[in-house]
Parts: sequence; structure tokens; C-alpha cells
Amino acid sequence: MNLVDIVFYFFAVIIVASAAVVVLSKNIMYSAFSLLFTFFGVAGIYVLLNADFIAVTQLMIYIGGILVLIIFGVMLTTKITGLEMKTGITGKAQYAIGGLSTLVLGGTLIYVFNSTSWFKSPSVPTTSTVEAIGASLLTNYLLPFEAASVLLLLAMIGAALIARRK
Amino acid sequence: MNPEQLKILGSSFLGDLLKSVNLFYPETALVVTFLLAILVDLFTRNRPSCKMSGYVSLIGFFVTAIFLCNSPQGMSFAGTYAVDAFSIFFKWIVLITSFVIIVFSFFSKELFGEERQMGEYYTLIVGMTFGMFLLSGATNLILIYLAIETMSMSSYILAGYTKEIKRASEASLKYVIYGATSSGIMIYGISLLFGLTGSLNLSGINAYLAGNNVNHITLLISGIMIIAGIGYKISAVPFHFWTPDVYEGAPVTITAYLSVASKAAGFAILIRLLNSAFTIHAAGDTINTAWSVMKNVDWTMIIAVLSVLSMTLGNFVAVWQTNVKRLLAYSSIAHAGYILMGVAVMNYTGVSAIMIYLAIYMFMNLGAFFVVMIIANHIDSEDLEDYQGIGYRSPWLGVAMTIFMVSLTGLPPTAGFIGKLYVFTAVLNSGMYWLAVIGVLNSVVSLYYYVKVFRNMFLRGAEKANQPIELSLTVKVILIALIIPNIALGIWFGGLVNWANASAAMILK
Amino acid sequence: MNEILWLLLIFGIKAIIIISFVMLCAAAFVYLERKISAVIQNRIGPNRVGPFGLLQPFADVLKLFLKEDIVPKNANRFYHSLAPIITLGVAFSVFAIIPFASYLKIGDRVIHMGIAPNINIGFLFVLAMTSVGVYGITLAGWSSNNKYSLLGGLRSAAQMISYELAMGLAVISILLMSQDLTLTGIVEAQKGLKWNIFLQPLAFIIFLTSSFAETNRSPFDLPEAEPELVGGYNTEYSGMKFGMFFLAEYANMAAASAIISLLFLGGWNFPFIYEWLGFANGSVELVLVQLLVFLAKMLFMVFFFIWTRWSIPRFRYDQLMNLGWKILLPLGLLNILVTGIILMYI
Repeated sequence: MNLVDIVFYFFAVIIVASAAVVVLSKNIMYSAFSLLFTFFGVAGIYVLLNADFIAVTQLMIYIGGILVLIIFGVMLTTKITGLEMKTGITGKAQYAIGGLSTLVLGGTLIYVFNSTSWFKSPSVPTTSTVEAIGASLLTNYLLPFEAASVLLLLAMIGAALIARRK
Repeated sequence: MNPEQLKILGSSFLGDLLKSVNLFYPETALVVTFLLAILVDLFTRNRPSCKMSGYVSLIGFFVTAIFLCNSPQGMSFAGTYAVDAFSIFFKWIVLITSFVIIVFSFFSKELFGEERQMGEYYTLIVGMTFGMFLLSGATNLILIYLAIETMSMSSYILAGYTKEIKRASEASLKYVIYGATSSGIMIYGISLLFGLTGSLNLSGINAYLAGNNVNHITLLISGIMIIAGIGYKISAVPFHFWTPDVYEGAPVTITAYLSVASKAAGFAILIRLLNSAFTIHAAGDTINTAWSVMKNVDWTMIIAVLSVLSMTLGNFVAVWQTNVKRLLAYSSIAHAGYILMGVAVMNYTGVSAIMIYLAIYMFMNLGAFFVVMIIANHIDSEDLEDYQGIGYRSPWLGVAMTIFMVSLTGLPPTAGFIGKLYVFTAVLNSGMYWLAVIGVLNSVVSLYYYVKVFRNMFLRGAEKANQPIELSLTVKVILIALIIPNIALGIWFGGLVNWANASAAMILK
Repeated sequence: MNEILWLLLIFGIKAIIIISFVMLCAAAFVYLERKISAVIQNRIGPNRVGPFGLLQPFADVLKLFLKEDIVPKNANRFYHSLAPIITLGVAFSVFAIIPFASYLKIGDRVIHMGIAPNINIGFLFVLAMTSVGVYGITLAGWSSNNKYSLLGGLRSAAQMISYELAMGLAVISILLMSQDLTLTGIVEAQKGLKWNIFLQPLAFIIFLTSSFAETNRSPFDLPEAEPELVGGYNTEYSGMKFGMFFLAEYANMAAASAIISLLFLGGWNFPFIYEWLGFANGSVELVLVQLLVFLAKMLFMVFFFIWTRWSIPRFRYDQLMNLGWKILLPLGLLNILVTGIILMYI
């Protein structure tokens, strides 16, 4: 067990534990805040993989954008309308079914991940990921990049439309 | 990467880019239309229910059509996007449907009833068209995902466009939740496939799979996950749960749009994925070339099972429906099943049959939904019960609906028969007799509920004949325009068949 | 393994030095704020503790330590305590990438004057950290179970998200100028008098305005607008937890000043004096001069922050949002466009 492994397991434990809280917590606010730690853990894994740009993007977009909006939504609806936002009471049957399917799915995934010989690209020592990402976005992935901008514009129009009163 | 390397990379890419731009005119026209529609809407904002951006969209579609006619063919954007005869065929289906849907919208009381801002409606339709164009040509997994998202994102909002109507909002919400789940599953599948092959371009995946021995179970799982995402778009069972609710809740125009255009685009990408990624190719495919599908996963069986499930569930559940939109929703699930039969045979004859089927399906389904919309405009109902006597109150609507229903059933001399004929022939030729038998049995079942519509319109409620429904001239013209292809393609189908045959084998790798 | 230990040791020492420096800065800024506001308002200001009242901030801290820590009965204890930790932690962590001077050369070893100033993602890290900073305030507002706190928390989150965009856009034009994402690189690109404040005045104004909003300083201190919200998100905090929020505010101000100095005021660059002094690269003397130049610029910015606070009235909430979304954001986009076009043709 070298240092990288230790760091990896540290982040992995954070991710899994906080993700479990997200799913299992009855209070939706706890779920939302635990998601914060999940995202942090994922960002940590990215750093470990030398993908610093992705890691920071993860922080900025997921933590700085999406999660804030989730928390906003929850806070505005619970405190201002006085509605308690709790997930429904889970019965024993649901626990059983949920647990069983989690086990089956988890087991399959673990089996698949361990038994598969994944594609390994030759490892290239990278100093700067940002330039490489920028270059690919404007050459090989130009079309997806531009398509994404249309997609985002559409989503913005749609969001404005839904938010509009009439 | 130092500046010098970047410069070399840039200049090597420039040639490809210039070539790509030439191939990309139709899509560029759509994006320009999209932006223009927003701008025009901004300037005509203070006049609600103004159709200005609708007209802009129609003009834009027309320009796109001109570009599409003269489109050259080839791979573009570093192999992420294929412009080939196959995708152009599907683009025509999408484009015609979008055009017709915008024309339909002008007559919708549901949309124009309230003082509603309609600008975004047209904008979103244009955006969705762009997404479907991309989808029919995408050869890169990321582009496929983005195209599907572009298409879905617009359709989520369009489904709930009449947001003060509760069932529309409900439909939209359900659509979003199912959609988010399915695209999550799909992107997971994509990541597994990428992990296996180390490539995002379909050609790269194909090359790796052909040259290396990969783990079958992982490939199977990732394939099923990706197919689940596409299956959601074409509403194949068991990914169909959203379909009835969304079709019922959404405005009729959008229901029609979803049932035709997004289904066609979904099939385009399904076929392309199976052909480009999972089939071993020799140079120069023609319509008679047999696909040598990679043996590591039994794709044929997976698709065939989906097909049987979709047909059977769609048809049998449709029998119990009392709401016409819901009935047509299940009918569209069943049709997805028929079309999947054509995919399951995995050869170019099958692909050609699918293309013929989809082109015809476009006319009959659009027609049926147009009648549903006009009837809803007058009687404010989509219940089958309320259709009693429509045949007497407006023979126009009655006759038109009957023709569309006959066509949907697939009886001669309508176009629907030709579509079914080609699909079943393709299935029989490939020796999957059991599949053909199930298909035929299903068609018999479908006759029951299509006839039910006819029965309610003509054999019941003759006493309502004294409350006639007056149709305007334009509506009549549109009805005729939709009836003509339904009959004509049933008699003179040679042109369409030739076009489909010529396009089917032209899938660029 | 030895190499890693050595690295950890270096980073540890640097971190301790920088954190103490930031704490000291915060204390000094509290004193400055009180003194300057006193001058502006024709008062005397603190003058009892120590000479000229210099020890006042330490006395304040001592007082806060001795105060009772009150947690409201219905508050969520865990998150209530977590909030100030996040806020202060984020405020400190921004300093991880700030270079205080260029480098020091001892033998063959190059020691950078900062914890990780050459990190590749550079300024993006600052943006990421400010977006995490929203959580401290939001959590504080929510966990206090008090409507004023909640509103304060919501306001501040909305404000910070909105202005982060304009801030990011302003920085993109700076990155276009420097062609480098690391803060050291950005500073090096401003050698001589090529300061970005002269080359990118619009970006400077956008960034400055956004910094005020990001640090919740007046005229954008709506999250703690006393007349409307009692104390805003920290209404229900007392003792050292309140002290941590207080400290974080000044640490944030210090960070913002440092970043503005680095991005726009040329960091440790100053025309003529280095040529005039003629110290070798990497020598202790040079680093000390650079440090002084940088700190002077930073101090000037802090003064500017305080000056503004005591001169300009507070914005209304809708004005704040309009300014952010309808003025600064389009201006930022325009600035990038113009910068890009100009850079393409020269």
C-alpha cells in the first residue's frame, strides 16, 4: 500500500459514506449537504488522476452551481412555505427490495470491473492538462463542443420559460 | 504542448474544418434559424400569440431543405459526424415533420387559446430539429449523447408548454425524470464502452472490437445500457413508461412531433450504432451485403426481444384505452416494435424497410394527430366516447381519420400496407419466421382498436348529425395534403422504395 | 519517501507562516477599518489598548474567546458549528496559490514564495474556493433556524453565484493577455508597466466590483444589512464562532486585495526599482523588495475596500442583481470579444 493507494481509499471512503447519507437520510437538507462531500471526494479522485482542470471544474460547476441551486430550492420551499420536506417512510419491504437490488447491481459491477481487461492507453507524462483539453476542444471535439453550446442555450431558454409566470 | 505544436495541430485540422463546413450547411441553417427565431420573438414580444417567429422557422426549414437537397457527402469534424445518404434520408423525415408540426401549431386552439407567448415554442422546435439532425449523423459517442440531450431538453419543455394545464406539467415532469434516468444509464454505458475500447468514435470502437478480444459480459452490459437510452427515445418496451402519460398530457402538436420525429432520429442512431460499431465491414457495402455482426454479443436477439415486447404490450394495452391520445401513444409503442423487427434482421434490406416504414408512418401518424387536434379544437375532448357521431358532424374529419386508421393498421390500398409489407418481407427473407408470425398476429390485434375509433365516429351517435362541425378551407387543404401521400404511397411506392434502397447501404463508417 | 516527507515539511512550514500572516493581516485590517472609519467620520477611534490602540484587535479576540457560546435551541448543532469552520477554512485556502514574491534560490533548491503558486489551474482554484465559500454562509443561515439568518444566507448565496460569473469573465480576458493560467505567469506577463489595470481597465472595474460582492463588503453587504436583517446569516452566532465569521470576512478581503494586486496591479512588479537596485534573481534581497512592493499594493487595495465601505451607501437587492446580470456580465463578454479580436491582429 503506497501513498497513492492510501489517498485513493481516503477519498473513496468519503465518497461512498457521504453518498450513503444522501440516499438514506430522511431529511432532504442533510442529503443535499452530504452531496457536497461526495462531490469533494470525486474532485479529490480527479486530482489523484492528474486531472486538475477537471477537478476544479467539478468544484466550480457541481459544488458552486448545481448543488447551490439544489440547496436553494430546498431552503426556499421548506422554510418559506412551511412544508416539511422529508422522504416518505420506508417500509421493510422497500428496504428488502432496495437492499437486494443494490447487492445484485453492486455485485455485478464489482465482478465486471474486476474481470474485465480494460483498455489501457499508453501513459504520457503530462505537465499541463489545460492546454491539451483546450486543443482537443477546438480540433477533434469541435462539433460536440459547439453542440453543447446550443444545448445549453436551449436549456436556458427552457428554464426561463418555466420560471416565467405566464 | 508548446505553441509550435499547437500551430501544427491547428493547421492540420484546418483542411478538415473547411471540408466539414461545406458538409454542415443544413445544420448551420438550422442554428441560424434558431437564433433568428429568438431575436424576432424579442422584437414582436408585446404582441402575444404573434406567429412571426413561426414564419421565420418555416422559412428557415425551407432554406435548410434547399441545402439538404444539394448536400455533398462525407465524414466531417475529425470523424465525429457523418453526412451520408442514410442520414440525409432521416433528416428529410425530421425536417418535413418539423415543418408540418409548426403549420399544425397555427391551428391549435390549445396553444393559442390563452394569451400565451409562443416565441419559445418555435425556437425550441427548431432547436430540437437541430438535435435530431445531429443525432442522425453522429458517429461519436459524445456527440450522440449531446444530440440526444439537445433533443430531449427541448421536448421536455415543449411537452409542458401549456404549463397552466396540470396534466401538461405532470407530463413534462414525468418526462424529465424518466429522461434524466435513461440518459444517466446511457452515459454509464458509454463510459463502459469507452473503458473497453479506448475510443469514442464508432469507427475506433469497431476497429478495436474487431481486432481485440474484449470481455463479453462488460460489452453486453454497456450495449444494453446504451440501447436503453436509445430505446427510451423510440419508446420501446420496457423503456416506454413515460410514453402514455406524456403523449396524453402534452399539446397534440408536440405529441405528434415526439411520436414521429424523435422516434425516427432514435432509429437512425440505433441502426448506425449497430452497423458502425458492432459489425465487421469489408469495403463497398451494397444493399445486398450481409452484415457480419460481431459474435461476442447476440445483438439480434436483444433487439428481437425488445421488438416482440413492444409490439405485444403496445397493441394489447391500446385495446383498453378510452383516450384517443393515449390510444395513439400505445399504438406508437407498437409501431416501434414493428420497426424494431427491421432492425433485428441486421441487414441493409431491413434498414431500407425501416426507412420506408418511417417515411410512411410519418404521414399517417401526423394525419391522425392532426384530426385529433382539430376535433379537440371543436369539442374540447380527446375521449373516445365523445367521438361518437363525428363522422356525421363532419364527414371530412371522419373520412380522413378512417383513412389514417386503416393506414396505421396496415391494410391495402393505403401506404401503411406497403410499410408493413417491406418490413415483413425483410424479416421473412432473413429466416426469422417466428418474429414475422408474432408481427402479423399483432397487426390483427391492432385492427380492433383502430376500428373502435371508426366505429365510434360512424356507427354511433348518428343523432348528433344536426350539430355539424365547420372546417375552414385551410384545414381541409391540409387534410387533403396528408391524405394524398397515405393513398398515393400505397399505389406508387416505387420512388420511395428506390430512394430508401439507394440510401440504406450508404452508412459511412 | 524521503522526498515526499521533505515536500510535506516545506509545505507545512509555508502553510503555518501564511496562516499566521493571514491572521495577523485580518487583525491589522480590523484595526485599520476602525481607524479609517473614525477619520472619515471625524472621530478618534480605538486609542485605549496599547499605543494608538494598536492592540485593540487582540483585545477583541480575547473578549470573543471568553464569551459564552450560545447555540439556539432549535438550531442544528452539527451544521451550526460546521458553518464558521467552512467559511474560515475557505478564506484561508485561497492563500494556498497566492505567490508573495517570485522565487528564492538556496543552493540548487528553488523555493517558491507561496504554498503552490505554480499550480496549473491557477486562478480557477480561487473561483472554485469562492464557490465553496457560499456553503459556509448558506449553512450558517439555514442551521440557525432563524428567518433573518436564512434570508441573509440565501441572499449571500445568490449574490456570490451571480457575481462569480462576471468575475470569471473578467479573468478570462486577463488570461488571454498572459497566455498562462498560473498566477506567477500572470504576474510575469505584467513586467515593467504592462499592468493589466492599464491594458484591461474594463476587466479591472468588473473584477473590482465583483470582488466587493464576493466578499460581501459594502456597498454590496446585503447579506448582513442591519436595518433589514438584524445581523444576517450570523445573527445567531456568538463567542468565537462569531469571531470566525468576522475573521473570515477580513481574510477574504485580504485575499481579494492580494488577487487584485496580482492580476491587475502587476503583483510584485514595479517599474525601474529592480533595474535600479540590481539584485540577482533568487536572492534574498530581491525577494524582500518584491514582498514589500506586493504588500504595499495589497495594503492599498485594503484601504480602498475600507474607504468605499464608509463612503458609499448600500445597494438595493434588485439593483445588485441587475448590476450583476444585466451590466457586468454582458460587459465581461464584450471585453473578452474585444480583447480576442485585438490580440488576433497584433
